[in-house]
Amino acid sequence: MIDSLCDQAGGGDIAVVGLYCDFLAQQEQSTTNMLGAIIKQIVSRGRIPEYIREAFKKAKKEFGGRGLRLPDLVEIMKKAVTALPRVFICVDALDESTPKPRRELLESLREIVQVSANTRLFLTGRPHVGDEIMRCFGKVARIPISPSRDDIRSYLEMRLGNDTDPEVMDVELRVDIMRMIPEKVSGM
Amino acid sequence: MSSEHQQVSGNINPFNNNSFNNNNWFNNTINFNTEINTEGRQILQWLSLLEPQQRHQGVRSDRLDSIGNWVLETNEFRKWSGAEDDCVKPVLFCDGNPGVGKTYLR
Repeated sequence: MIDSLCDQAGGGDIAVVGLYCDFLAQQEQSTTNMLGAIIKQIVSRGRIPEYIREAFKKAKKEFGGRGLRLPDLVEIMKKAVTALPRVFICVDALDESTPKPRRELLESLREIVQVSANTRLFLTGRPHVGDEIMRCFGKVARIPISPSRDDIRSYLEMRLGNDTDPEVMDVELRVDIMRMIPEKVSGM
Repeated sequence: MSSEHQQVSGNINPFNNNSFNNNNWFNNTINFNTEINTEGRQILQWLSLLEPQQRHQGVRSDRLDSIGNWVLETNEFRKWSGAEDDCVKPVLFCDGNPGVGKTYLR
């Protein structure tokens, strides 16, 4: 999705940024770290804005460089997104983050989209996080994802094509695989 | 330092079939490595230790590009990604069970 949006943007001032949640890395995925990662991508496009440099210098003096708090990050992010004509923020696998950081992340993002009509969020996750998202944002556009038969056929062809022992595959088995798996799996 | 080197080698991986065409993400990564000075790098690290670009490079190289293109053709996606700011829902949620390919949508 990030790449499609980048291609559509065709360079220019449109920022496309992303974040992957991962249940194996939940400890690192604090709300501040996640929001920070989004801001980092937005501002690393050019020269880092002065207000961020100032905040950094100030934090460095206090206790030898303390981190930002969530409200500070939200304010920085508001400034960062309003400097651009369009910002796409993609967050993958929301269900893999723990509930508290997830709620805080969604609420922070809501604050951002409320002040900045140029910001769009692309979120993915298992169906059950949908309720949380609706509660947070109200109306959202929703696309249920299930692989189409063509998707599955393409994938199977790729995997069979990469088979390291193609000689052990007999023709009938291959035909069966290509017929039965797309039928069973599509609409999963 | 070492993580940045990994990032560069990830980008020039000759086995990565995805082309280097005008990709913002890719350009960002290069800028990040070459142009931003030491203080800039410290600031970016201070903002967050997470490096989602690295995961993204992994997803890009494992992805089969033709898969899931139907999503880009849906009305929901078009409206959401379109140029108009008015009357648009700013949030697009793609939901699905584990393994259906949400991460690998192109």
